[in-house]
Parts: sequence; C-alpha cells; structure tokens
Amino acid sequence: MPYFILRRLLVIIPMALIVVTITWGLIRLAPGNFYSGEKKLSPAVEANIRAKYGLDKPWYTQYAIMIKNIATGDFGTSLKYEGQSVNEIILRHLPYSATIGVLGYLLALAIGLTAGITAALKQNSSFDYGSMSLAMLGLSVPNFVLGPLLVLVFSFWLYWFPPARWGSPSAIVMPVVTLAAIYAAYIARLTRAGMLEVMRSDYIRTARAKGLDERTVLLRHAIRGGLIPVISFTGPALAALLAGTVVVERVFAIPGLGNIFIQSVLNRDEPLILGIVAFISLLIMVFNLVVDVSYGFLDPRIRYE
Amino acid sequence: MREHRRQFLTAVMGLALISGACAPKGSDKYFGKTVPPKDNVLHYISGSEPESLDPQISDGQPEARILMALYEGLVEYGPKDQQPIPALAKNWEISPKVDEFIFHIRDNGKWSDGTPITADDFVYSMRRGFDPDTASRTASLGTGIKYSEAFNGGQVFVKKGETYLLDKDFGGETKPPEPTFGPETALSRVLHSADRLTLDGDEKKRQKQIDGDPKLKAAVVGAEFVPVKAEDIGVEALDRYTLRITLRQSAPYFLGLLAHQFFRLVPKHVVSQFGRAWIRPEHIVTCGPFRIKTERPYDALIVEKDPNYWDAANVHLNGIEFYPIEENATQLNLYKAGSIEAFLNHTVLSSWVDEIKPYKDEYLNFPENATASYAINMTKPPFDNPKLRQAFVLAVDKDAVSDFRKVTKPLFGVTPTGTYPDFDAAMKKVGEELRQKSGQTPEQWAKQTKLFDPERARKLLSEAGYPVQQQGDGWACPTFPVENISLTFNTNENNKAIAEFVQAQWRRNLGITVPLRTMEFKTFLAERHTKQYVGFAQLLWSGDYMDPYTFLSLHYGKESAGDTGIDDPKFNAMLDEANAELDPQIRYEKLARAEYYLLDQAIVVPLTINATNWMKKPYVKGMYPNPGTLLPWKFVYIEQDPAKWDHDVDNIMVQSDPMVDEQLRTLTSTQTDKQLVASSK
Repeated sequence: MPYFILRRLLVIIPMALIVVTITWGLIRLAPGNFYSGEKKLSPAVEANIRAKYGLDKPWYTQYAIMIKNIATGDFGTSLKYEGQSVNEIILRHLPYSATIGVLGYLLALAIGLTAGITAALKQNSSFDYGSMSLAMLGLSVPNFVLGPLLVLVFSFWLYWFPPARWGSPSAIVMPVVTLAAIYAAYIARLTRAGMLEVMRSDYIRTARAKGLDERTVLLRHAIRGGLIPVISFTGPALAALLAGTVVVERVFAIPGLGNIFIQSVLNRDEPLILGIVAFISLLIMVFNLVVDVSYGFLDPRIRYE
Repeated sequence: MREHRRQFLTAVMGLALISGACAPKGSDKYFGKTVPPKDNVLHYISGSEPESLDPQISDGQPEARILMALYEGLVEYGPKDQQPIPALAKNWEISPKVDEFIFHIRDNGKWSDGTPITADDFVYSMRRGFDPDTASRTASLGTGIKYSEAFNGGQVFVKKGETYLLDKDFGGETKPPEPTFGPETALSRVLHSADRLTLDGDEKKRQKQIDGDPKLKAAVVGAEFVPVKAEDIGVEALDRYTLRITLRQSAPYFLGLLAHQFFRLVPKHVVSQFGRAWIRPEHIVTCGPFRIKTERPYDALIVEKDPNYWDAANVHLNGIEFYPIEENATQLNLYKAGSIEAFLNHTVLSSWVDEIKPYKDEYLNFPENATASYAINMTKPPFDNPKLRQAFVLAVDKDAVSDFRKVTKPLFGVTPTGTYPDFDAAMKKVGEELRQKSGQTPEQWAKQTKLFDPERARKLLSEAGYPVQQQGDGWACPTFPVENISLTFNTNENNKAIAEFVQAQWRRNLGITVPLRTMEFKTFLAERHTKQYVGFAQLLWSGDYMDPYTFLSLHYGKESAGDTGIDDPKFNAMLDEANAELDPQIRYEKLARAEYYLLDQAIVVPLTINATNWMKKPYVKGMYPNPGTLLPWKFVYIEQDPAKWDHDVDNIMVQSDPMVDEQLRTLTSTQTDKQLVASSK
C-alpha cells in the first residue's frame, strides 16, 4: 500500500508539468493580450508593457523562466492585478469557494445518501418514485435558474436571506442549497443504484443466511459496498467544488476562486491561469488518489500491491 | 470598455428573474426597499474588480470612479457637465496660444499620511506616468506635453558638439519661436527653442531610420545619441506651489484632460520606497477626499473620509463601499433589497427597461459621451471603394436601430450630438453652408444628415459595380461577393441583437445578407486592431475628455485607433488646423468641417449614442448622470428627509440643488470667470 501511494504521488509531478505546459501553449495560441482593450495602444506604449513583463524575450526563454518559477512553487505575479502574487490570490479566495463547496457537498451527501438508501430499500415504492423524480428534476434544473428562483422566493417574497454578497451566515444558505441540489440528485441516484446492486450480491445473501438482522446487514455490509460509486464520484466532484463554481459565485456575488479563474482566462492573465490550473489539477490528482486508497478500506476484495 | 462585456448567463438569468427583480407596476413608488443608511455611508456597485489602485496603471472606467474617491489632480470633473473645476490647483493661467499652462497649487494640500503636497509632487507624478518602466497604458493621453512622447517611447536626441539636431531640418515643420509664458528658466529656454530631432532609442531601428535618409545619415556622423530623460519633458515646478506645463502645440482640450486618472497624484515618498508594491493596503497613501479603510478583492473596497484632505469640511459622506459585481441581475437584486444605493452605468438590460422606466425618481437615462458604430476596413477590397462604403452606411436606418435598443439615441456622425451644444451649433452652421453650396433644399439636406437613403444606397451600390435588381417585394444584388465579407463583433446578447437588426436592414434595403461573425472579446480585439476583418467590425468608443476631438482623433493619423485603416492627409491637416485655432467657436467650426469631410469618406456606420442607463435611490443627492458617469464623490450626500429627496430625475440636470450649487460656487470662486470660460471651451 505505501508503495502504491508513493508511486502515485511521483506520477503527479510529471502530470502537473504536462498540464501546465499544455495550458501555457494554449494561452499563447489565444489571440489578444492581457493589456489589449477597446482602445488600441500606441506602439511605444505597447513596447513598454511588453518589456516590463518580459514578453519581449524569446518564447523558450519565457517558458524556461515560467517552469523554473513553478518548480520553486512560485507562480509569479498577476499581470492584471498589479502587485498581487498568484499564490496570494489563490490562498485568499480558496476559503470562500471551499466554504460553500464543502458545506454544499455535505448537504448533498446528507440528502442524497438518505434518499438513495431509502429508495433502494423500498424499491418501487412511492417514496422511491417520488425521490427519484425529484432527483431527475434536480439534475435538469441548471443552477443559474435555481439560484435566481431561490432569490425570488427567499429574498423578495419571504425576506429570509439577503439576495447576494458574502458576510452574514444567512447569506451562505442560498448558495449552498443551489450548489447542493445537483449533487444531491446525482448522489441519490448513484447510491440507489449501488445499493440495489449490492443488496442482490452473494455476500449479502451469505450475511442474511448467517442469521444477521437486517439492520446489521445494511450498516455493516451493504453500505460499504453500495457507496463505492459515490466515493468515486466524490473525488473529482469535491475538487471541482473547492476550486469554485462560476455560476453560483457570480449570481450570489461570492469572491470565490471559480469566478476569478474564468476572469483570468478572459483577461489573458497568464500567471494566474497557470496557477489556478495547476492548483485544480493537483487537487483532482490528490483526491483521486485518496479515493483509490479508500476503495481498499471499503471493499475487502480490492487490494493494492 | 470592459463593462460592455456581458456574461453568457445574464440573459438566461434575466428571464428567470424578471418577474422577481421587478416590482409589479404601480404597486410602489420606489423600486424595493428605500431607507437611507443611518451611518452616512454610500454603497455603490462599481462593476468589474479594479485592476490596480495605481491611477497611472488602471485604464478602465470602473477603476476611474474608485480612483476619483482616492486621488486628486490639478482639476476635477464638474459633477454635472464634467468640465474641469479647481482641485489641488486653486487656479490657473493659460497662454494666449493655449499651449502653456501655469497652475497655482493649494498650500494646504496633504497626503493621507499628513505629508504636504507641493508642485514637486506633480512633476514627479507626470514624469513617472511617462516613464517607460511604469508602462502606463494611458500615457498616450498626455503626449501633448512636449517631449513626453519621446521620453515614453525611449527615444534619443542627436547631439553634435554643443548643439542638437533640429526636427525642422529633417522634414519637420518650422514653427516660429514663442516667448515663454511666465518666468524664463533653463528648461523653458530649451522648450521654447526649435524642436529637437528625436530618433528611435533602439539601435537597430534607429540605424534603419538613418539609412533611409541620406541627409540624416550625413548629419549624424560624429554625433552622440542622448536618451530623452524625464527632466526633458514640459513639466516644471516654478516654486513650491507653482507648476508649469508646456505643450508641443495648442490643445484647447488639454485642461479637461487633466482630470483623467493618469494625471492624478501619486506619492513619491511611498512609490520610491516600495516600488510596485506601494499600492498594497499596508503601504498605500492617497490624496483624495477618501482614503482606504478595508480592501477585500472581489468583495468590497471600503473607503472612509480622509481628515487630511484639504477640503475635508466639504466632504459629506463618511465613507463609500465599492462592490465589484458584474452580474446585472445580482446588481438589481441588491438594489431592490436596499443593500446598495446606486450602481454603475449600462446596467439595466434592454429586456428590463420597460419595467424599470416607470420608477421616475430613480432611473437615470441620459446621453453619454460614447458611441456605437461599425468600423469599415477600407484597406481590404471590396470596401476600398468609397461608393460601396457609402451604400452600406446609407442603407441603415439609425432611428430604427436606436428605437430597437430602447435606451439609446441615434448617432448620425462621429461625434455624439447632445453632449457638446456649441459643437452641435457649429455642425448646423457648417452644414447650412455645405447645403447651399450643394444646392439642396433644406428637406433634402435634413434627409442626408440622417444618413439613411435606401434608394441612393442602391444607386451607389450599382455604380460601384454591383447592380441591384428588384426581386419580388425586395431587392437582390447577386454579383456582390458577400461570402468574402462579414460583420464581426464580440459575443454578447446585446451586440448580437443589434448585428441581426442591421443585417436585416441591409438585406431589406440592398438585398445583401452580410454574414455575422462572433468571437470572444480579446480575440475580437486582436482581429480588429490588426485589421484582419473584412467588412465591418463593432466599434464602441467612450470619450476620454469633454471635447469633440476625443471622437474625431479616433481617425487621425497612421494606425488610428478607429481600426478602419484611414490615414487621410487632408483630414489630419484639418484637425491640426482646428486645434491651432484659438477662438473656440471657430475651432468647433473647423472640427465640424473635418467631421463632414470624414462622413463623406464613409469609414464607419454610425449606430447609436450610448445612454447612462443606471439607477440611484432618491435619497442620494449630488450624484449626476453626467456624460461619462464620472462622479466627484465629495458632492454626494445622503438626505434623510424624504421631502428633500430627488424626484422626477429626468430633470435632474436642470433642477438646482442649493447644497451642490453652493459647494460648486465656493470651489470655482478661486478661478476667475474669464479663465474658466477659456478652459471650458
């Protein structure tokens, strides 16, 4: 097991390098510059800007400088937001995204698991049909519709929550619910499917045959296996949530990482794009590793060498 | 310009929200919660996240509004008309040729850390702005200042022995020497002697320049290349509180330009200590009515009244909270919930206008100092043919386009009408002359100035070699190579709607269906700036200062920013001649002539004059929808007494507010009337 983890960790380094290099190349291919605006700059002014940010050097030199900086963990300074380092920006805005992301996912887990397990145990009951229809609805209503709808109901009809902006705990409720909806629906469906499959498997039949009561069968044996699809889903989902969700952040004016990522691309803010891409890919790779390791604990049939 | 960009989801959100965001008609006098804040702090949505709090780095309008709270320059924008009013300069004198200015700086100006402000601070700030290392994007605004362009471009003088080579000996124009305005100094003697020749600072480029000119090649033998330094530019402190600015030529619009953020003061004592990090919250020192209290990027920038500000007694608000929020629906939601008092311009989407318009005490829709048109790339066939360009210009009904947009006014030229009444009068006068010369009836002329004449458009198209035939109810032009051209714009709901509307007009009036091409903003800009587009490209332009020249200069000279490829010596000369004119009215007439000439070249399809299109709560006073939505914050106050709240804001520009009027009168009293008149024209 430790050998497996070490091997996977070592793979992360070249993977991250490849991701950064491809991203760097793609940014270079995109027309336009961080400084281009509606008003065209005079050649002298443009030359000054290019010199100031080292853009006048040959591309291989720029690439070498970029890789050297990244190797030392320094993504440099944002081109758009003068004087702010990329690391500082990511660390400053991560907590906002992480707060609503983690809370949203916990809420989604609570709703999704309860609904999924119950639906599986009472297959073809009215609860099963009801909750799964609701899940279908949750999956099909995009969050840029759900968010404003929540604002309409809870801010302007009921006056319960402020319509946007970070600040009071009550301001977090609607973004978290908006985020949770789609994940809860997904988790509910995954859980139901996983549980249904497990409940029909041999080892559950064996457990029942040994005379275990239904409760023990469910909690000790079935859930562990039934949750594997949910766990696989959790890795990338949580990484994506931590990195921020553009729509929810924009609708509720939350200073999270997702909106900043999109803006950095629109702004052609190269160091910031590279920093966030590297950060997100790192998150995904680490979370996937954690997920893979956790399989071994959940399902005794899975072993790593 | 960034504010023109809308995110893809806005439209969808708008649909989902429209029922919620807008109160049912007639149920309420005001839009949502309308209770003045008790702490005397204004909450304002400023648009996108400010790039930098360095006034010489940021170039956007959202930043300009924030920087106006934090920094001050020689002059400030007037709250209603944006004309320059005294700020850190208590008054000024202007040379007879309007090419030299002497400013008398207040002796009670202080930085937010208490350090006194002197004329040296202005000299430092301007030198820094032009310094190539600062790499200011807005530096070109100030290149009227003598030798500043050469300094900014890293150019060199050519020194031979003790003298310098002169521009006039190598193709430059010969200007009669002017006496110095004010006391003579070593610098003024240099600035007032014949213009020195400047060459490229880059050795290779310079050599190319020299090799191309035999006379120059002979002259530079044994000469020394001396870099143009900060000390060479036309900015000088005559004493502790007197500043002189020397321009390279007359520029009657220059004073108005000085309120731009580029010319606002930056603190030498902080910048020299911390370099680029001087704007970090722990270091920043400012000089405006407000100072930084809290900075939370992407969330809020909170400023508070600065007790060190020279005019602190007349700053009414205790503070301002700027929120960087771009989503239009979110802006309106916060406004309705009463979390904010006002938001930036261009924010009420067309689909909401009908709902918002009835709130007459809050909705501000006034013409802006900004235009929307389609640039025509005249360097690429078939549009190198002026007749063809004219045909496409004349086939678009500008009134209809504007009606379709709901909030805008139609544009019939390059300069927006309504913003410069004196210039409008000049256009009328010159137009009448041209009409008589052409022998047209007033009706014919009126029709012509509307730039909409489908019949003539078809005739011109036929004359250009693409015959138009009747086909069913409409027209067809089968020989026109429509597959080679396009109408290009950046992806955005509003842009698309307008493009489709104009496309339909061309189809109806010319029988040509121009393909539409849409792309991401920066990709589009690269396409337009490099003139790769064939046909038409969207051109949105907001004026940098309050003078028609800010629009006409868009098509001036080589590589002009209008991206049409025009470089018309006659037009360039007409503008130069107009700016050398000292009588403001005659100058406007000369500019008007230049505009008529430019319209004949048909290099743009004029569409609309932008509208301010924003809202404020009725209890916020002293805040006006001026042509650039540039808000001098020290005039803004919160009125607790509902009897004194603003009502029917369509008249806000003509209604008088005793508090604002008195403040403005006191502020401008230090400047004599005569000089103010000279400055405002």
